[in-house]
Amino acid sequence: MTESELFQRYRETGDIELRNLIAEKYLYIAAILAKKFVGRGVEYDDLYQVASLALLKGIDRFDERKGLKFSTFITPTIAGEIKNYFRDRSRLVHLPRKISELRASVRRAAEDLTKELGKKPTANEIAQRLGISEEDVLYSAEAGGVVSLDKPSEDGDMNFYDVIPAENDVFERIETRDAVSSALTALSDKEKTLVKLRFTEELSQAETARRMGVSQMYVSRMERRVLEKLRERLKKSMAE
Amino acid sequence: MKIIFELSFPLRSDLMTTVRLAAGGVCALKGLDMDASEDCKVCITESLLLLKHRGYAVGRVRFFESEGLSVRVEGEGVGQEEESPEDEISLALLSALLGTVETTEKGGKLNSVSFEIGSRK
Repeated sequence: MTESELFQRYRETGDIELRNLIAEKYLYIAAILAKKFVGRGVEYDDLYQVASLALLKGIDRFDERKGLKFSTFITPTIAGEIKNYFRDRSRLVHLPRKISELRASVRRAAEDLTKELGKKPTANEIAQRLGISEEDVLYSAEAGGVVSLDKPSEDGDMNFYDVIPAENDVFERIETRDAVSSALTALSDKEKTLVKLRFTEELSQAETARRMGVSQMYVSRMERRVLEKLRERLKKSMAE
Repeated sequence: MKIIFELSFPLRSDLMTTVRLAAGGVCALKGLDMDASEDCKVCITESLLLLKHRGYAVGRVRFFESEGLSVRVEGEGVGQEEESPEDEISLALLSALLGTVETTEKGGKLNSVSFEIGSRK
């Protein structure tokens, strides 16, 4: 079957097996492109995974009637996804969701109050409006600031980098990481992808489903199954 | 256009890392951000691979002063032609990363790849 016939048939039938066949046929493009972006601080395996998911998405979007070769179509798609991944990954420090939401509420309340009062509101006024403590308002404001590790600390002699305590319990961390790594080996490739998307990239179930090309319900069920599996494995390894 | 830096070297795979390092240095000198710098390195490598597969023995990379950074990658001399299924992907990748790529041919064979990349910090 020619490339065009293959895609035409997939477009007409939506047959997942056919899609998988196409994916296998063109997976080498994902591998080549992933290799080309190695060296920017991300492991090849991760890049390959991002590229493979982009390939799956691309297969669904490709229209062979436009006369473009699939490799020409998919290369920019995969390159774009890899670059997005780099961009997203560069935001390494995430605020906890609760604080992000608090910050958003404080900002909105401050804007509303500015309009209502005709002046910038005090922390106390914002706190009253939101029914939270004044301390929380101030905390949320602090949480958003970006501080350089080279900035001098309050006593002036050292910078933040010098005064941030080192992680003490390194061994415990290593042990935990080992236990989790070992538990993860029990998972299938699909389950590992789910863990990565849901718990490393912190994507929603809907977005995870979209990237994996499955339904949200499927993700939800798989997630329950995976967590159960991991729980069992971790319990076992702790007992040992 | 004023040349900032120029490299000429045997077109061999084992020298690509050296070329990439030099390219990274020029990008840093021009104040390109990390993304643009990495893209530039990928594009130079891809251009050199395309030229290598077309049987050139020597690679020449020239960096010119421009709003961002202009790069011209050329092939010279006669080497071993190699057929590579990856060429198509290299060309598509260049277009994807750069938008505009200019190529020239000599004797019906790709001879140079030119592009401009990045903007000042």
